[in-house]
Amino acid sequence: MTESSEQLDALCRNVVRLLDAARGPVHTLRVVAGDAAVELIWPQPEPPVPGAGQAASRPPEVESASAAADGAEICAPTVGTFYRSPEPGSPPFVTEGDLVEAGQQVAILEAMKLMNPIEADRPGRITKIIVADGDPVEYGQPLFLISPDS
Amino acid sequence: MFSSVLIANRGEIALRVARACRELGIRTVMVHSAADDHSPALRLADERVRIGPAPASRSYLYPPAILEAAERTGAEAVHPGYGFLSEDPEFAEMCEDQGLTFVGPPAAVLGRLGDKAEARRVASAAGLPVLPGSAHPLRNGSEAERVAGEVGYPVIIKAVAGGGGRGMAVVRHPRELAQAYSTTRVAAQTAFGDGRLYIERYVEGARHIEVQILADRHGNVLSLGERDCSVQRRRQKLIEETPAPGLPPALMAEICDAAVSGARAIGYVGAGTFEFVVDADGAFFFIEVNSRIQVEHPVTEMVTGVDLVREQLLIAGDRELALRDEDVVRRGVAIECRVNAEDPERGFLPTPGVVEEFTPPGGPFTRVDTHGAPGIRVTADYDSLLAKVIVSGQDRDHAIARMDRALAEFRVAGRGVRTTIGFLQEVLAHPLFQDAKHTTSLVDSMISL
Repeated sequence: MTESSEQLDALCRNVVRLLDAARGPVHTLRVVAGDAAVELIWPQPEPPVPGAGQAASRPPEVESASAAADGAEICAPTVGTFYRSPEPGSPPFVTEGDLVEAGQQVAILEAMKLMNPIEADRPGRITKIIVADGDPVEYGQPLFLISPDS
Repeated sequence: MFSSVLIANRGEIALRVARACRELGIRTVMVHSAADDHSPALRLADERVRIGPAPASRSYLYPPAILEAAERTGAEAVHPGYGFLSEDPEFAEMCEDQGLTFVGPPAAVLGRLGDKAEARRVASAAGLPVLPGSAHPLRNGSEAERVAGEVGYPVIIKAVAGGGGRGMAVVRHPRELAQAYSTTRVAAQTAFGDGRLYIERYVEGARHIEVQILADRHGNVLSLGERDCSVQRRRQKLIEETPAPGLPPALMAEICDAAVSGARAIGYVGAGTFEFVVDADGAFFFIEVNSRIQVEHPVTEMVTGVDLVREQLLIAGDRELALRDEDVVRRGVAIECRVNAEDPERGFLPTPGVVEEFTPPGGPFTRVDTHGAPGIRVTADYDSLLAKVIVSGQDRDHAIARMDRALAEFRVAGRGVRTTIGFLQEVLAHPLFQDAKHTTSLVDSMISL
């Protein structure tokens, strides 16, 4: 590995740490390698769209998990029906307070007979099950809260 | 007739469909991706379902999510708009299997017309003139060379599953053919999942003429006249107008009749467009059918007074066309300009960003179809169409002057956001366009200057 690519590597690690620490979603990140400079730009708050109702008031969401006050969220990967058990009458995959491993199945999301397994994307404790069994959910809707086990 | 429609699209066409539904008293469900959470288009929907993330492959192009939303909301019909799943026979079939009315032609018709080589065969059998070319998909590069030799250069290699100006290459010399064949094959396989190709003679300096058709399920087929879409950049239309300027009305009537024959022969249902090229000698040839509502449909609406999306919905609801040939009276000239979020100075590269100022034009005989508004984000996930400006005038000079006036009023600004407005004005002012002596090569010649 050359010296410059090592520098770049170190810079990238620092930038990732910086992004983790940054408040709110960052709009633009500019990195200059020579005499290292980092510029972060936050988005201007977008004006609310009148009349758009709930669709507009929903916070911007992230692919599968996003930071929440009391842990991370496990969100719906598609539109579908939320099921807590593998089949009707059988015990649920998880209940509140359970410890889960990363990759452990916690629910099923059924869309047009396609059963999409929902997995925990990190190890932790399920602190809240947000959606009731059999409820319809939209893409990106939070399903579980998961906290690091401490 | 159904009482609710799911609109499986986004942007201006989702709005256009929602408006037609409202006027018919039909409840609307709009599905949207996370990228469109804040789209003003959603305002006009009675119900909204967020079906997936920004990439279309997991939202607007993902049938299970759309059908799930339809089932959940009790929608009875699906309007696919244009692009995305609008010409996908499998999606049409899935809708019908689920008991949903697909607002468009039957799946079997979509399948035959979506295979552009098959569409050529059908048109030819119905007596429509087609360009010399391959009768079947090409088996390999050497067959391509043989057919091209018989047809005569220049030729155009096209994807069987292509259409809409994508997946094609013009070849002017035999030594370029093998390379073009393999490149296009890879491109077609990547873009459409189908690498089959066919060849046609390529007409230089042509006019692109298309015919708007309406056909119901009761055997009535109607032409609403032609549109001229010769102002294109890389086969993407920029300006469309009707009637076709500088071409003999008798020729246009002949082309419209041909389109009606073609629609009857294939058993077409719904709104559709038959595309033709007209060469320098005034000969016309069938190219393909667009089995859906088209971006440029408003120019036809402006001169006929017929609401094409409303007709589409009524046809899908099994109504018989109330219009007859004699009811189609065309008045004046209409022109449409597509305002894209692209930078003409950087090769028409899309310019994603947040639109801060958005003030569309107004005034007499000026229509703007757009989902644009201050605060909307133009993303790289979807096409760059921001607005369509459509005007009509008593004659072509008046319509051009009105369009120029309308474009001059249009204000779009935002960091990083550029539009094609200035370039469109340059085309309007070009002597060849003003004299209606332009061909499909006008824009390319302007850019290469």
